[in-house]
Amino acid sequence: MTHEEHHGEAGERSQEAAIVLPGPTFWPLVIAFGITLLLAGIVTHWAVGVVGLIVTFRAAVGWWHNVIPIEEHEEVPIDPELRPAPIQVEQRSVVRLRAGESGHRVRIPERIHPYSSGLWGGLAGGVAMAAIACLYGLVAQHSIWYPINLLAGVVIPGMGDQTVEQLRHFQMLPFFAALIGHGIISILVGIVYAVILPMFPKYAPFWAGILMPLFWSGLVATTLSVINPVMNERINWPWFVVAQLGFGLVGGYFIARSTSIRTMQTWTLAERAFVEAPGLHQPDEGKHG
Amino acid sequence: MASIDYPLEHPKAEALTPEFSFSESLYKWVATVDHKRLGLMYVVSALVFLVIAGIMASVIRMQLAFPLNHVVGPDTFNRLFTMHGTTMVFLVGMPMVAGFSVYLIPLMIGTRDMAFPRLNAFGFWIFLLGGCLLYFSYIGGGGLSGDGSAPDVGWFAYAPLTEKAFSRGAATDYWALGVLLSGVGSIVTALNVIATTFCMRCPGMTLSRMPMFVWVMLIDAWLVLVALPPLSAAQIMLELDRHLGANFFDTQAGGSAVLWQHLFWIFGHPEVYILIFPAFAILSEVIPVFSRKPLFGRPAMVGAVTAIGFISLGVWAHHMFAIGMTSWSNTFFAASSMLVGVPTGIKIFNWTATMYGGKLRMQTPLLFCIAFLLQFLVAGLTGIMLAVAPFDWQLHDSYFVVAHFHFTLVGGLVFGLFAGMYYWFPKVSGKMLDEKLGKWHFWLFCIGFNMTFLTLHFAGFLGMPRRIYTYYPGRGWDAINLIASLGVIPQAAGILCFVWNIIRSSLRGIPAGDDPWDAWTLEWATTSPPPEYNFEKLPVVRSSRPLWDLKHPQDPDWKYE
Repeated sequence: MTHEEHHGEAGERSQEAAIVLPGPTFWPLVIAFGITLLLAGIVTHWAVGVVGLIVTFRAAVGWWHNVIPIEEHEEVPIDPELRPAPIQVEQRSVVRLRAGESGHRVRIPERIHPYSSGLWGGLAGGVAMAAIACLYGLVAQHSIWYPINLLAGVVIPGMGDQTVEQLRHFQMLPFFAALIGHGIISILVGIVYAVILPMFPKYAPFWAGILMPLFWSGLVATTLSVINPVMNERINWPWFVVAQLGFGLVGGYFIARSTSIRTMQTWTLAERAFVEAPGLHQPDEGKHG
Repeated sequence: MASIDYPLEHPKAEALTPEFSFSESLYKWVATVDHKRLGLMYVVSALVFLVIAGIMASVIRMQLAFPLNHVVGPDTFNRLFTMHGTTMVFLVGMPMVAGFSVYLIPLMIGTRDMAFPRLNAFGFWIFLLGGCLLYFSYIGGGGLSGDGSAPDVGWFAYAPLTEKAFSRGAATDYWALGVLLSGVGSIVTALNVIATTFCMRCPGMTLSRMPMFVWVMLIDAWLVLVALPPLSAAQIMLELDRHLGANFFDTQAGGSAVLWQHLFWIFGHPEVYILIFPAFAILSEVIPVFSRKPLFGRPAMVGAVTAIGFISLGVWAHHMFAIGMTSWSNTFFAASSMLVGVPTGIKIFNWTATMYGGKLRMQTPLLFCIAFLLQFLVAGLTGIMLAVAPFDWQLHDSYFVVAHFHFTLVGGLVFGLFAGMYYWFPKVSGKMLDEKLGKWHFWLFCIGFNMTFLTLHFAGFLGMPRRIYTYYPGRGWDAINLIASLGVIPQAAGILCFVWNIIRSSLRGIPAGDDPWDAWTLEWATTSPPPEYNFEKLPVVRSSRPLWDLKHPQDPDWKYE
């Protein structure tokens, strides 16, 4: 088996004594020089331009004769000294990765949770978080409305001027502002959970339930003075973190309980093209959500 | 390990390459149409201009090291930054593009020469003579007092400063004509690259099997072909203004200064990509070989570079946010400028993914590539920041912009070119570059570069305008400028290491052999340096890594492609 038969001919030997190549010529240099003089005439003296024109014309004629009627060539002898060394064959084989191979850690999530689970998980987590916040209100301020009014300070700047006594009482506008804001953020965070939960290692609901609330708490701690100065002045951080953990664990648990669905990356080409044929689809995959 | 049998024995025959006298050797170089000699001449010329431009930059930094400094006069300072910018873009970057292309493409696609070898020679000479004409302005520029005067209008030569009334003498004409001539060289070389790539690939080398380097340089050549003619046209219009009273850009006679800006930046922004593409091309070859893995996402890389080529033609006016365009124009050019970040991000991710899990060989070429990835990422992010029109209004024409484009063109292009030079020097010369000197070069240059240009971002944030000759103390710029100027010292030391390395290794370097890096593209299948005819027989390829196929006949790539 020679590699000529199977592997192309890079570095092969020729039986010829010489190889024909385009011959050297100085006309390209001369014509470039002529054109340069021609333009230099604009900024120096018209006589320089005239010389440039003459040189350019002469070089053009020279170049013309260099290629017409027959291109000038030279024969370059094949120099045995310049032959490449034989290519070394590497006996070691390389293991190639094949799609769907067992044992290979697929880095993208093979299965994900549906967005709907994120929505419901977010709402459940939000309820848990609100319950803990209200418990804090009852214990610390003897009022469940205190944390709700504090939260409303995100969108209602006037809340900053209220006394603690005022914050302990129910107020319609702050209540709805806090409810809507908390609901929306809970749903959005729940959807984010649903997307990223499959990327966590083992015990995903636990890790997500602990780590994500801690990251979130850190983020809030650094930015709260800008977002909600009222809350920043009066917040109780240990309770805040506990409320966040409540959201993470309850939301994560709800999402993890949902049925996961396969991502398209693991489908075959025929399946991705939605080809319908007997035996093509495995019955229990739930891939279409 | 075993060797493949060849049809012929490897004979110990006498060398047929004759010895030449000096005059014969000179003739061989001057009259050559060989793509390898021309490629070398391009690169050597560019390196000479790089040293000249580097010295100019050093003087600029000396002037700005301290407040109220007087190393050079203000007029000289203006000439220095003009000539530095013009030289770096047109006489260093562009010939490097051409040099790498014409040297490597025929070898990589398995042919003997470029499609138009004489045109190739013409392209080199017209570029070199254009550069000489530009520098002749120092003698013949004819400033106000009639003595020599280099151009002082900035590298983008905005109108109406370039009009006869404001730019007396002939310095601006030298700028326009010199750059016009070197632009002609770039255009003919681009034509040649396109024709060579489409018409002269060896048997079996389909477009999908073409090396990534060739793909990127092909797109680059198209960009040159589209982007450069508007600049050439604008320069001809400027000369008509200055000598025949055409008034294209003369605002007092009904002309438009904004027209010049549009024509210049229609060239100028694709030019940034024209200059950075060779670095992309080099990285796409060096990173896989030094990671011992094929390029990750090769089709996506081709798609990304093609997308960058297209999108980069529609972003030029982000250089003009400050002139007062309509909000629709601002929105369009801001959006398109951000869009170009998407395919660029794909490339960065794919190079990183190529390295990920690879068996990295931390040699000088790869070090330069890694630095490129980090620095070009910074350049890309500051580019996205400047694409936001209101942000640009705050920092337009400040040192933030200077730092941004130096991160692109030095942190990106120059680092990429150095990676390429360390990678292909063994092929070109037959000798290895010294690794220890290479690492000194890398670390000195990398530290010095970041000292200079990372700090200048902050000078821009603190409101320091670009191109100012000097400044008063106490504005918060003093320490920054001193650090930036001190950064020149390690950079210059790094360049000295590089030059010394080239000289020393050329004379006394370790013989490289044909394939010192155990690489996979065709140029490594021939001798180092390659013979005039490149290959005795034109190769036949069956995959995008033909040498891999030869080295691994049991496991060739063509089984999978």
